[in-house]
Amino acid sequence: MRIFASVLLIISMPSLGFSYEMGNRVLSYTLKNGLKVLMVERHLSPTVSFYIRHQVGAVDEIDGRTGTAHLLEHMLFKGTKTIGTRNYHEEHKVLKMIAETGKKLDLEKMKGKNANKGRIQALSERMEVLQKKHKKWFVENEIDRLYVENGGDNVNASTGQDLTTYHVSLPSNKIELWARIEADRMTGPVFREFYSERNVVMEERRQRIESEPEGQLYEQFLATAFIAHPYRRPVLGWPSDMRFLSLEYTEVFFKRYHAPNNTVIAVVGDIDPANTLTIIKKYFGAIPSRHLDPSPITEEPPQKGERRVDIVSDANPQMVIGYHKPAMPDFDDYVFDVIECILSKGRTSRFYRVLVEEKALAESVHAVNGVPGAKYDNLFAIFAKPRHPHTNAEIESAIYDEIEKLKIKPVTTRELEKVKNQIKADFIRSLNSNLGLANLLSYFEVVTGSYQYITNHIKVIERVTSEDIMRVAKKYLAPDNRTVAKLVYKK
Amino acid sequence: MFLLPLYLLYGTIAYAAERAHLPLPKPDELKYRPIHFAPPRAERVFLDNGIILYVFEDNELPLLNISAVIRTGSNYDAVGKEGLAELTGAVMRTGGTDALSGNAVDEALDFFAGSLHISMNRDSGSINLSILKKDLDAGLNIFSQIITKPAFEENKLKLATDLKIEELRRIADDPKKLAFREFKRVLYQNNPAGRFPSTTSVTNIRRDDLIEFHGRFFYPENIMISITGDISKEEAVAKIKQYLGSWNESRKYNVVPPIPAKQKGHIYFLTKNTPQSIIICANFAPSKKEPDAYPFEVLDFIVGSGGFKSRIFQEIRNNRGLAYSTGSFYTKRSEYGVFGAYAITESDSTTKVLSLLRSIVEDVRIKSVDKKELAWATKSINNNFIFSFQSADQIARQQLMIEYDKLPPDYLATYRDKITKVQPEELKRVAMKYLSPDETVTFILGNESTYNQVLTTFGNVSRIEDQL
Repeated sequence: MRIFASVLLIISMPSLGFSYEMGNRVLSYTLKNGLKVLMVERHLSPTVSFYIRHQVGAVDEIDGRTGTAHLLEHMLFKGTKTIGTRNYHEEHKVLKMIAETGKKLDLEKMKGKNANKGRIQALSERMEVLQKKHKKWFVENEIDRLYVENGGDNVNASTGQDLTTYHVSLPSNKIELWARIEADRMTGPVFREFYSERNVVMEERRQRIESEPEGQLYEQFLATAFIAHPYRRPVLGWPSDMRFLSLEYTEVFFKRYHAPNNTVIAVVGDIDPANTLTIIKKYFGAIPSRHLDPSPITEEPPQKGERRVDIVSDANPQMVIGYHKPAMPDFDDYVFDVIECILSKGRTSRFYRVLVEEKALAESVHAVNGVPGAKYDNLFAIFAKPRHPHTNAEIESAIYDEIEKLKIKPVTTRELEKVKNQIKADFIRSLNSNLGLANLLSYFEVVTGSYQYITNHIKVIERVTSEDIMRVAKKYLAPDNRTVAKLVYKK
Repeated sequence: MFLLPLYLLYGTIAYAAERAHLPLPKPDELKYRPIHFAPPRAERVFLDNGIILYVFEDNELPLLNISAVIRTGSNYDAVGKEGLAELTGAVMRTGGTDALSGNAVDEALDFFAGSLHISMNRDSGSINLSILKKDLDAGLNIFSQIITKPAFEENKLKLATDLKIEELRRIADDPKKLAFREFKRVLYQNNPAGRFPSTTSVTNIRRDDLIEFHGRFFYPENIMISITGDISKEEAVAKIKQYLGSWNESRKYNVVPPIPAKQKGHIYFLTKNTPQSIIICANFAPSKKEPDAYPFEVLDFIVGSGGFKSRIFQEIRNNRGLAYSTGSFYTKRSEYGVFGAYAITESDSTTKVLSLLRSIVEDVRIKSVDKKELAWATKSINNNFIFSFQSADQIARQQLMIEYDKLPPDYLATYRDKITKVQPEELKRVAMKYLSPDETVTFILGNESTYNQVLTTFGNVSRIEDQL
């Protein structure tokens, strides 16, 4: 879920792949405070891309506070003590009053039917007065202004189940600007406009979930597939939590997780690595490392039988099927990368050839390894849309036929070679932009503990055999281990 | 490659820096070394048969990108056969060639992990091939056959038609897709750009129509190609000559579709049972070729496309928390442009948000933009200019499209200078000229009760039916 969406937004997933000597070109350095820095120098264009990833996401929220990680991401665009203020000393006094009033207002509203309407009215009016007063001290959107005015490209951020990301590309002479802004927002952000931003996020949910049957299907699918692990909760949060997200808890959450020793930076582009590191040390080096919260994340207990859920909707039918499986870097996860391609990569993939072309049952069928996150044990999921007049039931049974084939019939050498070629080529393509490479390196550094996971990925993929595929399919793609969610039509 | 061992590279700088506890400098006062950036140039080659070729070499990765742009598009679809351009493109890709079956093409491409896409836009078609360097011949063989000798296998046409019909059935499941299609239908009335494929029009299309459409547009003088990546100019030219040099067909140029006419200002409403409304207010705007395009681009940036600091975003999202997606767009084509202000908001806020969008646009018509805001916009646009040249493919493509759009050859070289020279009074002038409320086409997708609110507040609203 992103801070900023254009109407034509396309969401891309990190693709997986192979090392094209890229491993040798990555410079990795850890500051004394634990901040990890990855750099790659390339000079085709005088630009540089920056990724900052914090190892914190929706999974780290407590129940009742879902949506906090994502709202925090939005709050980090509201400036700092030195960016976006006319006089922080004065501004702070007003912000304190806004926080107190907002808290009282929330507490009253939470009483629901028993709330005192007069009190709500009075507090709301006081809030409005304070917010007006605050505008006197506040310069809006200064972080965005500084980036955009200096040529910033792809200024954005996103929150997932596993991690939170801030990225931007700049002309290569502006590295110091990035360091100045980002180090400041890692230490001294000010949560301005908290209550109106909470409404923005509610609109985001209305747009992505309530208005989109596909969003509802996905949300219910996850809530059914996971009964204990936090992957069962939506990143945007549940509406009743989102309405009353607390400023205090958001601050606690920020302090707990946005520590340098919980952060990876990737810098890729037209840089001089030594100079870049000097700048990074100058700005980030003094941020103290913090004791990280050791609270365990609830593990998902083994599934003991099929789970099914229907979502009534006026939309055309579609469905999701998911199977529990282990996370990276388990060898079986690599095998699932291969299975994903066998089933649904390209026109010669099995789902396309059989379900879309030969049987003419489907509009589309996609397999995705690693839903809804990748750091913890996750799902191998299949997203399918039947073609009218065919039904979810028909397409479901055709999908199971293909899954059964994986268990009993060895994949041919040629098919396996094709898939390995595809994984290799996709990886090379993903290196073709500064932003893409910074994305990849920082993602795998955070999720698996080392960027080398991805630069070595293909070496492991090369070892996957047709026996592995049969074994993994039998072990995980079993009826008792699956969850099936469907849109059911109702006008 | 890094020749220095890491400890040498970093040994000297680590200590002092990590101890530093400096007061933070003001971000606006940071000093930067200058960047002297001239857009890199791809090499242009004119082949004997009329193909224009752009080449840009970049050896970092063993990759090649080969793209063709063809002067065609869905604007040329005949009335009653909307979807013809799109199906022609789709079945060129899937329906085989004189020498290879469709399945054989797929097998070959998937095996060497080449990706080949054909897309048809309103006023152009494009074919993109991405391959590893080692597969140059195999890739170009398929690429050239598909362009010159597509077979349009019947079963692949049936598949493409069926999939298109299913896509049409599903459009209403995505309110944004539905809204933008129906918005274009009311904006481009009586123009090919306002006609869209329907189940009926797609069902009317036969294999012969595809053959005819391909024959009409695919000939050497109507195609431009870019090759970028791990290849020299000499090799690129030699290879294109080898695979496409003997292609010698010529046609008369096609009649260019008419430019869409301005509409009378009006509100159109499409009902859908949804908790949010999608609002788009649009006017026709200057084309890429007109000098007004420069001040208008700056204006659009200030009004709603310049990120968080732009007026619509700041007012509707920041100050009021009324939308997650809101802003403006300016689509520049070679013959005309379109400006739109948009927001996606909770149903009950629809009339409030529409009034806000209108008043923000009205504001730039009646009041001058101050110099500071103008400076922010021009500086932003100009500093971002280098991001149009980040990859070899982008570099070649930029130049190719300038020739395709028949823009002056110095378009890129003079672009920043022209943006810099934009004056406040010009913003007001272009706002007055193009953004008259009497010509604003407003489209709203929303639920029944929102319709009643809009009708009560603004009067004169036409309901439209979605045409699937």
